[in-house]
Amino acid sequence: MSVISRATLADWLDSLAQEQMLIAPKEVADILLYHPVQSSAEIVWEYIRPVMSIKDAFFPSTERLLSIEKNGQNIKLNEFRPEGRQILFGVRPCDARGVLALDALFLETEPVDSYYARRRENTTIVGLACTAMAETCFCTSTGGAPDDPTGLDVIIYPLEDGYQVRVLTEKGEKIINPEWEMQDTEWLSNSALQTSQFEIPEKDSWPAQFDDTFWAEISERCLSCRICAYVCPTCRCFDVRDEPVHAGNGSNQFERIRCWDSCAGTVYRQIAGGHNPRSAKGERLRNRFLCKFYYYPEQYGPSACTGCGRCIDACPVNIDITEVIQHLQEVSL
Amino acid sequence: MRAFDQGADGVIVLGCHIGECHYDSGNHRTAKRMPVLQKMMEFVGLEPQRLRLDWVSASEGERFSRIVTEFVDTVRMLGPVKWGAKQPPAMEKRFWVDRRNQKAIIGDSFDSARTDAIQKRTRELLSSGEVSCVIGYEVGPRGRTRPAFVYAVDDVERLVWNQSCTHNLTTYLRQKLTALKDQQPDERIQVAIVVKPCDSRSINVLLAENRFEREQIHIIGITCDGIQDGAGFGKVEGRYQKRCLSCNNREPVLFDTLIGDVPVVEDVQTPNLAIERLEEMSPSQRMEFWLSQFDRCIRCYACRQACPVCDCPTCLYERDDSLWTGMNIEINEKRTFHLGRAYHLAGRCVGCDECERVCPMEIPISLLNLKLAQEVQEAFGYQAGLSVTPSPINTPLVEEVRA
Repeated sequence: MSVISRATLADWLDSLAQEQMLIAPKEVADILLYHPVQSSAEIVWEYIRPVMSIKDAFFPSTERLLSIEKNGQNIKLNEFRPEGRQILFGVRPCDARGVLALDALFLETEPVDSYYARRRENTTIVGLACTAMAETCFCTSTGGAPDDPTGLDVIIYPLEDGYQVRVLTEKGEKIINPEWEMQDTEWLSNSALQTSQFEIPEKDSWPAQFDDTFWAEISERCLSCRICAYVCPTCRCFDVRDEPVHAGNGSNQFERIRCWDSCAGTVYRQIAGGHNPRSAKGERLRNRFLCKFYYYPEQYGPSACTGCGRCIDACPVNIDITEVIQHLQEVSL
Repeated sequence: MRAFDQGADGVIVLGCHIGECHYDSGNHRTAKRMPVLQKMMEFVGLEPQRLRLDWVSASEGERFSRIVTEFVDTVRMLGPVKWGAKQPPAMEKRFWVDRRNQKAIIGDSFDSARTDAIQKRTRELLSSGEVSCVIGYEVGPRGRTRPAFVYAVDDVERLVWNQSCTHNLTTYLRQKLTALKDQQPDERIQVAIVVKPCDSRSINVLLAENRFEREQIHIIGITCDGIQDGAGFGKVEGRYQKRCLSCNNREPVLFDTLIGDVPVVEDVQTPNLAIERLEEMSPSQRMEFWLSQFDRCIRCYACRQACPVCDCPTCLYERDDSLWTGMNIEINEKRTFHLGRAYHLAGRCVGCDECERVCPMEIPISLLNLKLAQEVQEAFGYQAGLSVTPSPINTPLVEEVRA
C-alpha cells in the first residue's frame, strides 16, 4: 500500500485546475471558506471545517433563473443555464452528506430542479477525511463519521506521512491519476473519533412536542438572524423574485432570481396583507428543528442534520441544536 | 445612495433656502446630514464632490441652471463611478485590530462578587414584584456565556457575571416590554436589565427615540474593565476585545443599581490606527478594501439583528418590493446594505461593536460606524447615548425650530 505525498496531490490539483474550476478550503481575510483557487498553493490542508458549507457550489446564494427583456409589446424570456465543470476538493464528510440531503429534494423528487441538476452533474467531489473533531462536531451521532465516504466521488485519507486515495464513483475514476495505487478498503481511522455522543430522538417523537413551552424559552435570546440557516449544509429554503436590472442604459430588463432565505427571519412566513402565521420567535425556531428531524424525514428519508456543528459555533447567542436534541430525549422518555 | 446604486455618477440635492421650507426644519436636517454622508462616501473611496447640496427656490431659474451646469461639469470631470473591485490592497490580516493597548486578562474571569450582587439584587426585585423579568447573562452547557431571561426567584441562580458577558442585552428591551404588555395589558410592567457602560448608552439612544419609558426599566449597571475577545463563541484566549482597548467608560451612564467598584484603569488616548491607515490610502484603494470586505457578506442580517438601535419594524433592505435594494446576495446589494446601515446609525451608534462580533464572515463593520461617530462628534460635539438627547443629525436643534 503506497502513500502519496502532499506535493504529488498538489501537482495533481494544479493540473485539474487548468481544466476545471477548482474549489478548495482557502483563507479569505481571516476565515476559512470553500473558495475557488487558481493553484494548489492557496489550499489549506489542515482544518476542522470551513465557516460555510459546500452547498453554495450547487445551490448558490443567488441563482439567476430567467432574463426578461421588455421591448414595447414584445417580451423575451431567456433561461440562464449554469455552465462549467468544477471540482470540489477537501470536502468534509458531513458536507458530502449534506449534498445528499439536497439531492433528495432537488434531484430525486419531481419536478427535478434543472439548475441544481446541471451543477451537480458537472461537479466532482473529492473529500478529505477528518483527523480531528471540534468540540461542537457530532456527525457520529447523526449517522456519519469523520471518514465516511458517503456522497463523495473520491475520498482522501490523511496519514502521518502522506495520503491514501480511494475512488468511489465513475466520476472520481475520470479525474484520478491511473498510476496511483488505490486504497480500496475502509480506512482504519482513529477510533477515538468514531464514538457516538448521543442518540437523536426518533422522528415520530418530535411532533408531540409541538406545543412544548420549551420553544418559546430557548428562542427568547434568538436574534432572528439567518446565520444558522446560511451556514447549514442542508437548509435549502429560497425566495424567488423578478427584479429590474439597472443596466444604466434605460433598457427594460428584468431577471428572475432565486436567493437563500431562512425560516428564522421575520418576513419568511409573511403572507399577502401582512399577516404572519409564524410571528413568534419560538414558532420560527421550532420550525427549524422540526424541519431537520421531522418534516424533512417525513418527505425524504433520513434526518436533515449532518452533525457538522456549524450552527452551534456561528450562533451569536449560543442556541445549540444539541441542547434541543437533549431536551427532546428527556421529554420523550 | 440609491441613485448611486442605480448607476448615477453624481447626485444633486436642491432644497428651499434655509428658513423658507414649507416643512419648517426639513432643510436644516438635510444641511446637517449631507456633510456626514459626504464623509462616508470619501471613507469608502467615492469622491464627495459627486454629491452636492444647494438651495434654490422654485422661481430662481437662473440660479438653478447655473448650479446644475456647474455640477454636471464637475461630474463630467470625475467620470463614471467605478464600483468594481479589482484586487484589494495588500495588507496584513485583521490590521484593524489595534493591539497597542493590549494587556493580558489576569486571573479568573468569573467574577463571583458581581455574580452574587446581581443575584441578590434581582432576587429582591423579583420577589417584591417590582419587575416581572430580568434580562441578564447565564453560562450554557458548553461553557459559553449567553443572554438569559429570568422570571422566577428560583431561577435567579442562573445569572452570572464574567468577562464573557459581551452581548448588548438592550437589543431585547423593546421586544420584551411589548410582549409582556401584550400578555398582561393591565399591569405595570417593569423589566430589569444588566448593562455594561457601553450598553447603557444605547438605552439613552432608545429613550431619546421614544422606544419605551424610563420608568419601564430597572437598570442594573455593572462597572467594567473590558470583555474578552471571542466571548460568546467559546473562543476566548485571554485577550480583550478590540473595542475595549480604546474605551474609557468604566461606569454606566445611567443605572438604578450599580454593581462593582469602578476599576482603576489607565485611560487610553490613542487614535484609531485602522481609520488612519485607510485614510492614507488612495480613494480607489479604499474602495477596493471595502468592496473586498463586503464581498464576504452573506446577508444573514446578524449585524442588524444584534444592534440595539437598528430596530426599524421593516428594514429598508428587506422590503419585498425591492424598493431600496434587490434581494440578490451579491456585491452591489451587500454594499448598499452596509453603507445604508452605517449611515442610518450615524449619530446613533454607541460603539458596542456587537455587529462586528456576531458577523460570521468577520467584516470590520464597526470601522464604518466609528468613522461616522467621529465625524458627528467633530461637527456637532455629540456622542451618542451619553444623555437622553436625540442625534443632532436626525432632529432639528431646538434653537432651529424656534428660529
